[in-house]
This record gives sequence, structure tokens and C-alpha cells, in this order.
Amino acid sequence: MSTVLFFLAASGVISGAVGVVVLRNPFYSVLALVAHLVSLAVLFLLLRAEFVAAVQVVVYAGAVMVLYVFVVAYVGGESDSVGERLRGAGGTGSSGSSLRLGGAILAGALLVELLIALLGTGLEAIGGYGAPYSPGPQSFGTPAYIGKLLLTRFLLAFEMASFLLLIAAVGGVVLARRRGGLGEEDERDLLTPLDLMRPRETGTMAEGVGGRTP
Amino acid sequence: MITPALVGYFEPWWVQVIKGVVIFAVGLQLVPVVLIVERKLLGRFQGRYGPNRVGPYGAFQPLADILKLLTKEQFRPTTSVGFLFAVAPLVSILTAVAAFAIIPFGDTQDIFGTKVGLYGIDVSIGPLYLFAFGAIAFYGIMLGGWSSGSKYSFLGAMRGAAQLISYEVSQGLALVGVIISAQTLSLTGIVHAQAGMWYVVPQFFGFLVFLVAGFAETNRAPFDLTEADAELVGGYNTEFGGGRFASYYFAEYLNVLVVSGIVTTVFLGGWLLPFGIDPPGWVDPIVVLFKMSLVTFLFIWIRATLPRLRYDQLMSFGWKVLLPLATLNTLVTAILVVATH
Repeated sequence: MSTVLFFLAASGVISGAVGVVVLRNPFYSVLALVAHLVSLAVLFLLLRAEFVAAVQVVVYAGAVMVLYVFVVAYVGGESDSVGERLRGAGGTGSSGSSLRLGGAILAGALLVELLIALLGTGLEAIGGYGAPYSPGPQSFGTPAYIGKLLLTRFLLAFEMASFLLLIAAVGGVVLARRRGGLGEEDERDLLTPLDLMRPRETGTMAEGVGGRTP
Repeated sequence: MITPALVGYFEPWWVQVIKGVVIFAVGLQLVPVVLIVERKLLGRFQGRYGPNRVGPYGAFQPLADILKLLTKEQFRPTTSVGFLFAVAPLVSILTAVAAFAIIPFGDTQDIFGTKVGLYGIDVSIGPLYLFAFGAIAFYGIMLGGWSSGSKYSFLGAMRGAAQLISYEVSQGLALVGVIISAQTLSLTGIVHAQAGMWYVVPQFFGFLVFLVAGFAETNRAPFDLTEADAELVGGYNTEFGGGRFASYYFAEYLNVLVVSGIVTTVFLGGWLLPFGIDPPGWVDPIVVLFKMSLVTFLFIWIRATLPRLRYDQLMSFGWKVLLPLATLNTLVTAILVVATH
């Protein structure tokens, strides 16, 4: 049973990953990435890492990829693929070929890194049966166990990652504000006592034609 | 402390299969009931009768509706993307049914010498399972809207995307307070932890936030901007007809039932009765279904009462009211739990 599931999920993972690169329509590429991430969650489930599997789906398939889909559906559409755009750029100048060279170098570096990780640790585990199933709230892979590890052994990494995310979020707000994207018109409004009486977005006719005060 | 989360693993496989079939069948039968009750109640709220032609008191109206939808022609626009158009309703209905599996209808019972938990599965990650399937459910709406090749559908799907992202955060944070208090993620564990007092009292703000976010997550009025019929014809399901439309419709009402079930389980004490009444085990599912029907009634009541929000109101409400409230609730709960332990 678990073997069948493993091969189903593994083929889903690989075909999803191939699909991201090969498919010409960016929208389908994003969908292939979603399929890849969901199959990866199934693999996590097989490793008895239920929490990681759920987080994988909630965070990546549910939040990050939703934004990707959002953007690609708005601006992507049926236009030419990334590869064609690269080729087009290569035709006009040397940036295309240098981009392709850079891509190859990065891919090679990633391959070497993954191989080091795999050959160093992963191969020993292939012959085993993974973490044993032990009932109890503190056992391996449960949320309580992961939470404890995050707050003791990996506290520094955890805090640094959260600060990084916070900085990114603040940076996003600052960038949006500099472009005037975040409602400056609202802030230029003068407050009258009547405005304090009623909430800002009441939907009055005055708001509809641009004025604020009734 | 016993760990109720682990009981499910020790059931024989045939118990699991029977449970799956029974819960699936019950869940399927509940949807037409909700359909007819909603239409009848909406009628009463609006000073009219509602459906009353098919069968006694119009009770067979859902049957007629379903037969009508299933016998319709399966058509699709020429601009649509074929296979996604067929897959999207499937995704919606699949995630709704999967999420239904974790609602506990009762404690572990001794039926003819076999220990059976009255729930589909009791996962150790509890609410996260729900959010995971909620995240995939988004793709049902999104793909449906995108693959229709129609502007109305696309706009509806886009609104759905933004709305789901915004309210998922508050919904998750609203539950964190409960999880901190119960100190378990298992839904049956959360029910057991409410033996003294239901969480609706100490976690009242969490309850409010979860309920409001639940309205938004199920795309129900007053947050039904994905299918705002005055602006978008029908929203993401404009181009769907026949059985595919029925799938979307079915998924929507099943999602309402799922949210009702989760609210019942997490905030209203699940199968527990107030004042320490301890009925025999077969009463448990009736209690849960009764509480679920109360929450579903609230859904219908709100739909009949409140007008639809404007889109910017929806967004500012989600981010500027619900999210700070949920965060504050979590913080205060955490401080209180640490201080009292």
C-alpha cells in the first residue's frame, strides 16, 4: 500500500517538476508546480510528518502559489513562454546567452549541493523504514515535537527567519507606498466631526462622486 | 491523559470503510436538506412562502432541482479550456467532502464489542487538515473562473482568490487561542477539553472572528462577492451548467456544513451537553447535528439580513479589523494560559 502510494506520489512530484520547466503556457507551469507541491506533501505524509505535510499544502500550495496564480492569470495569459522570451533577448543582444549561461551555472551549483546532501546523509536512510510509529503527543513529527525543537534547538534560525520575513513585509509596504499605491487620497482628507461619527467606508453618494464630506 | 487522537489508528480496516461510507452517505443527504431549509427560510424572511409545489410543503424541491440539473446538456463556451473546465468542479467537491471527514460526531463508542470513533478520521494535526483542504479548494474556484474564458467568471475567481488569502489568516489565528487553551490539535481532544466550559465563552472573540471568516471562506453572503449576481452574472460559475454547476452548488453547501461542524466542535462543545448531563453514546451524533443546524440557521439568517459588502470594505474589514482582533485574542490567551499554569 505504502509502496504504491510512494510511486504514485513520486511520479507526481517528478512530472510536476518537469512540467514547470517544459510547459509553454506560464499558467500551466504554475499549475504543474502546485501539483508538484501537493505530491510532495503526500511524500511527507508517508514519512509520518503530518505537520510538515499540512504546512506544505497550507503555505506553499495555499498561500504562495495562490499569489503566483493570481499574477500569472492577470498578466501572463497565452503569451509566449519564458524560453521564447529568452531566445528573443538573445537575438537582440548578448544578455540572452549570458542569462542562459548563468542559469546553467546556478543549476549545476544546485545539483552539486543536493548531491552532497543526498550522498552525505540520505543514502543511509534509504535502506531503513524511517521513524518508528510511536503513539503519544511528544513523538517524532507531531506539532508539539516540532514546536519544542523550534523554541529550543533551532531558536536562533527560527527567529532569524521570522525577522527576515518581517523585513520583507515592511519592505513591501514601503515600496508600495513610495509608488503612491497605498491610498494617499484617503490621508489627504480633512476630518470633520461628522466623519468621526460615521465609519469611513459607509458608501455614501458623496464618497461615490469623490467628495468625502456630506 | 489519554490521547484520543490515536484511537483511530487502532480500528480494523473494515470499520474504517464502513465509517467512511456512512459519513459520506449522511453528509450527502444533509446537503439537500440544507437546500430546502434555506429556500424555505429565505422565503419566510422575505415575507413569501418559498418552494411549496413539489411534494408536501415543497419538501421534494431539491430532488426536482437535482434531476433537472443532471439531465441538462453539458455545454461549454468555445473560449474555455476543456480539461480544466471539467476538473475544476471536481476539485471543489472533492475538497469539501474530504474536509467533512474530520468532524467528530461523537466520542469513541463500544459497538458490539468493537471500539468505533464516531468520526471519519481524527488527525493529529486537526484544524491544519481543514486549512490544507481549504487551500486546495481555492483552486476549484480559481480554475473554474479562469478556464471558462469569460470575463465575468475571471473577475469572480480573482475576487475569490484575494478574499480567501485575506480571511484564511484570520480564520487560522482565531483557532490558535482555542488550541493554546486545549493544548491539543486533535478535534476530539478539543471537545474533551471543553468538559468544564465551552470555548464560546472564554474564546468569544475567537468565535466571532472564526465565524465571520467562515462566512468569507465559504463565499456566503454578505461576503459572496465571488458570485455577486448583480455585477458578475454568476461569478466563477457563470459558464457552468448541468451537473458541473450542481457540483459547485453541492460543494458550497457542504462547505457551509463543514464550517458549522467545525464551529460546533471547536467552540460549542461538540457532543457535550451543558449542565453536566451525560447521555448515552447514541445521543452524541444527534447533539452534534442539532448544534450544526443552529449554526447553519445562523448562516441563512445572516444571508437574508445583511446586504453584500463592497469590495474595498471587504478587504479593509479583513485586514484592519479581523486580523488585529484575532492576533490580540491569541496574544491575550497565550499570556493568560502561561500566567495561570
